[in-house]
Amino acid sequence: MWSIGSRALFKRELSRFVRRPKNTFMPPAITNVLYFAVFGVILGTRIDDVAGYEYLLFILPGLIVLGTIANAFENASFSIFHGRWNEYIHETLTSPLSYLEMVVAYVAASAVRGLIVGVIIAAVGWVFVPFTVESGSFTVENAAFLVATMVVISALFAGFGIIGGLVARDFDDLTVMNQFILRPLVFFGAVFYSLTMLEPFAQYISLLNPMVYMVDSVRYGLLGHSDFLELAPAAYAEVVPLLSLGVLTALTLAVLALDVYLFKIGYGLTD
Amino acid sequence: MPPAIETNDLVKEYGELRALSGLDLTVEEGEFFGLLGPNGAGKTTFINILVGLVRKTGGEAHVFGHDVESEYQQARDAIGIAPQEFNVDRFFPIREVLMHKAGYHGIPTEVAAERADDALRRVGIYDKRNERFDWLSGGMKRRLLLARALVTEPDLLILDEPTAGVDVQLRHDLWELVTELNEEGTTILLTTHYIEEAERLCDRVAILNEGRKVTVATPDELKTRGTDTVSLTVEPTPETTPALGPYAHEISQSGDRLEVKVDNGSRITPQMLNDLEAAGYAITDLEITRTSLEEIFVDLTRQADRTVTRSGESESAESTEPREQEGVV
Repeated sequence: MWSIGSRALFKRELSRFVRRPKNTFMPPAITNVLYFAVFGVILGTRIDDVAGYEYLLFILPGLIVLGTIANAFENASFSIFHGRWNEYIHETLTSPLSYLEMVVAYVAASAVRGLIVGVIIAAVGWVFVPFTVESGSFTVENAAFLVATMVVISALFAGFGIIGGLVARDFDDLTVMNQFILRPLVFFGAVFYSLTMLEPFAQYISLLNPMVYMVDSVRYGLLGHSDFLELAPAAYAEVVPLLSLGVLTALTLAVLALDVYLFKIGYGLTD
Repeated sequence: MPPAIETNDLVKEYGELRALSGLDLTVEEGEFFGLLGPNGAGKTTFINILVGLVRKTGGEAHVFGHDVESEYQQARDAIGIAPQEFNVDRFFPIREVLMHKAGYHGIPTEVAAERADDALRRVGIYDKRNERFDWLSGGMKRRLLLARALVTEPDLLILDEPTAGVDVQLRHDLWELVTELNEEGTTILLTTHYIEEAERLCDRVAILNEGRKVTVATPDELKTRGTDTVSLTVEPTPETTPALGPYAHEISQSGDRLEVKVDNGSRITPQMLNDLEAAGYAITDLEITRTSLEEIFVDLTRQADRTVTRSGESESAESTEPREQEGVV
């Protein structure tokens, strides 16, 4: 699965975005500077603490998730679609790589891009609101949980990006996926507010949004705060974060399996 | 050793369109094999099935004994392909493009770098190694496609219209290079529109038309299937066109000049001379014009009437199959 061939493809994918920071890393850095400046510095002082945290600190995990998944998705979908559009994906398809190796390489590279962007956003956030271990209940367990969650969600959206890149018929389709599906789900994914601020009905509706679980998990990992822990019945309180991670991991594996299947049948790739 | 390529009843359908209709073809290891056919004959579809860019609808295809679908990794590892289209990664300098391709074939980075340099030197664009594909001239792009196919040192090199639109010098360079590769043991499958190219390079050629194999033969064998023209000047000037045997498909006369269409000019001419002399004519001039491979190609692939004239008999394209299969594969 991690052969010389898949490493070569991974390296090629990595090089593509690392050598173009102006296109890949600068935009999310600038966007988040704007978010922090407007929501944090200008409006933040007029907004009360949320769930006991300074507003800027409260939204930071959500912004990290937003940047991470958007970039993981965008990288995978662009790489696949651009390769199809210009047909240079044939270089990969005519090689002896197994379909699993191809998917693993594409997903791994896109997940890495998502994670790098997540770290950049965290660094930008730190400049505006220097969070420390004391900011939340940041423990070794939480750190491991945070890393695991970030890896899983970046891989999940890289996997979705593969599907997007295979399904898209032109560049507009990619924009539609990002702007009309991904962003609304993230913005209604409790990035800028706490679920506890919603009416019960809106809370239930929110539970249908997978982004809610991702944002909450990362917030739990980074700050030690989970809306679910406050909303869930006491009997489930201790397992809620792990359950979220478990479901996300299962979903990621299912999406990757679908990716491999699509490569195998040549969906969008072969005639 | 299994054949380099072996297909049985290979079918590819695009909805209503049948691009390949039960193609049986075998290319032996070490052969220089040509695929000829008009546009839409199914040549590129055939190639793309071998490398995994097109999924067959039916039949079987093997590369060195490996099924192209169930053993796709082994099959693809044996193939280097230089396609018609410029499907090259534009993000990287060409040396890196070749290194990536070698890497996908499991070649470690250091070796891949050496292979990339060797391949670029071999096709004569080593000094452009740090340029990107878009910056190369048309001829250099063509060379790069060949270098990319060579970087994995394939046992089977597939060249899809490699000299389309290139200048004479480059065409000759490419011919020299692929001949060299074939002499080194690489099996070569070449598709081309240039009859001269097939005639010059190929051990055998298959002519495809509308997804079917019309014939497989050596270029020389193919030529014998065409109709030669024997031009003669006779004395005295015939009052009526002389009658000749059934070997003469068509006789035309203009004064003392006769033009006779026959299948194999050099074999038939002595008998024709005897017949004319027996009829009281002396031959004062003789010229045999052989059919060009191009004319035979056109004849074989003519859509309205794919009829091959040969020794007074008419055969449909399909009915040539049993005969040429004797010598094939």
